[in-house]
Amino acid sequence: MLYDLELQSVGKTYPDGTVAVSDFDLKVEKGEFVAFLGPSGCGKSTTLRMIAGFEEITNGEILIMGKNISHTPPERRPTSMIFQNYALFPHMTVRQNIAFGLDVKKMETAEKKRKVDRILDMFDLTEFADRTADRLSGGQRQRIALARGLVVEPEILLLDEPLGALDANLRRIIQNELKLLQRDLGITFVFVTHAQSEALGLSDRVVVMSNGVVEQISAPKELYTRPATPFVAEFIGSNTIIEGKSGKMLDGGLQQIETPYGPMAGVGTAGADMAVIPAESFRIGLRETPGEIALEGTVASKKLVGSIGYIRVKLSDGREIDVETHAGSPEAQSLSAGASVTLGVDPSSVTLIHH
Amino acid sequence: MQVGLLRPALALYAALFLLFLYGPMIVLAILSFQSQGGGPQFPIQEWSVYWYKHLLGLAETSRVSQLPVGDSLIRSLVLAFLTTVVSVTLGTMSAEAFRTRFKGSGPVFYLIILGMMVPGVLVGLGVALLSNFLDIGRAWWSTSFVLHVVYTFPFAFLVMLAIFNRFDRSVEEASLSLGVSPAQTFRRVTFPLIFPGVLSAMLFSFTLSYDEFSRTLFTAGADLTLPLAIYGTFSVEIYPNVFAFGVLTTLFSFTLLVIYGLLMKRFTRNKRFAGQEDA
Repeated sequence: MLYDLELQSVGKTYPDGTVAVSDFDLKVEKGEFVAFLGPSGCGKSTTLRMIAGFEEITNGEILIMGKNISHTPPERRPTSMIFQNYALFPHMTVRQNIAFGLDVKKMETAEKKRKVDRILDMFDLTEFADRTADRLSGGQRQRIALARGLVVEPEILLLDEPLGALDANLRRIIQNELKLLQRDLGITFVFVTHAQSEALGLSDRVVVMSNGVVEQISAPKELYTRPATPFVAEFIGSNTIIEGKSGKMLDGGLQQIETPYGPMAGVGTAGADMAVIPAESFRIGLRETPGEIALEGTVASKKLVGSIGYIRVKLSDGREIDVETHAGSPEAQSLSAGASVTLGVDPSSVTLIHH
Repeated sequence: MQVGLLRPALALYAALFLLFLYGPMIVLAILSFQSQGGGPQFPIQEWSVYWYKHLLGLAETSRVSQLPVGDSLIRSLVLAFLTTVVSVTLGTMSAEAFRTRFKGSGPVFYLIILGMMVPGVLVGLGVALLSNFLDIGRAWWSTSFVLHVVYTFPFAFLVMLAIFNRFDRSVEEASLSLGVSPAQTFRRVTFPLIFPGVLSAMLFSFTLSYDEFSRTLFTAGADLTLPLAIYGTFSVEIYPNVFAFGVLTTLFSFTLLVIYGLLMKRFTRNKRFAGQEDA
């Protein structure tokens, strides 16, 4: 199978010995939307810049459509990069900005004009075509940057925190546009962000990184429900993490671990010693399935935000955990601080991971 | 009360400072309008433009010989122009090189800066001795030219270094990622954006070379540049024609400044100029 983009144990070590990225393996299919997610300094931008050719790689290979481009200069890679600060050419009009990448290609003037006109129209930029970009709003400038990057018909569009400089409202709008655009064009998008909601809302697959290492590569939903490492469990969503000792195997593909709160069952592999429980999978006051985990505690505080009720429960050992429930549910309505509660969790929504 | 006094006091200080700065030039300008019979001092016997005519060879012959500036002026202008071209090209290129850290960049930096730090008399003398030793003739267009470049190159380099420091690299990367070659990227993106800096570097190099004295004194050989020629006339007797020339050459400098200002205005019209984007 020919992948659009393939990273084979790509790594980068700076001359002073600092490791920016190590052993990055990824296969991306044509038309896939992949997000690199992680805290700042985790190596996500560096990896993107290595794909673009702005950073040398010191280990591994990068392939685009099966062709090794590990050491090809950026201008000869079939990638186009979108920058957080737009990086528009301030001495050119909107039209000149967009036509810039086509100018250096051998192409008929009429053909060039047709392409530029079409993309101007597609991004609603026709009326600004002859203005310089500096008078336009952030959203318009980001559209110009996208149009400029897409008009050269790249194989892969690389986006480096493209929504970072926009306000929340505009971010949502452009986010929607991006998703539709990517679906319509069928171009592979690789998107770098530190915002969970962007990564989870936009992409087909998310690569979570920390300290230069890939923690997990999976679909957004799986990232939520089945975190693979303690880092992902901490970073994504709102999980309660309980450490324990590895225990025996149970029926139905479940595994058990021994915790200070008693044995807990969950989905995991042999030797797992940590339970990850999503905040929304706690059931207050219920304990249905045998073997279901039950935690006893008292309500420390309650907060209703929109349709979600956030309840903080203090366990017997003093630890406080977050529980999410529907704001309209009877428990969310009736519980008040100080009330005793039992928290039950279906083992199938518990993930057991390795320390 | 104190604040009330401070402002006029500072204003007076500033006025005195400006007078001190421009006083000699004003005196010189006034004296240049002395009449034929008057000397290079006050009082003005009669206002006239005689010395300007004399300078341009339009006056009837007098006992004062014409100021020998014609050829030396051309030489100085050509020399300053060539120096500017070479220094600014070298300065831009080396500043570009310094954008990425390279091995030995520290020592190289100080070596470049040395060119403007070492006393002109010493390098001038040194080059004169060296050319004697190597049996190379000294001339304004060879030995002096080299020294002028060595002298002005660091200034151009520092100006360009400051410009590149504030330059947003991502516009260049955007260009590369669109498939535009590094050479084209420099020509069509980088250069237009750093052009105001290049203009400043050119102005520096030109003016420094145009009135360079000590280095040229030892290395120019027989054909003199303008500062040398003017200095030469002092050793005889001073007439107001030197002042008239001073006024004209100052006007020339002002013209350069005005052109510089206009060009700067034209090229930094876009307020949000990528080179200075505060991203």
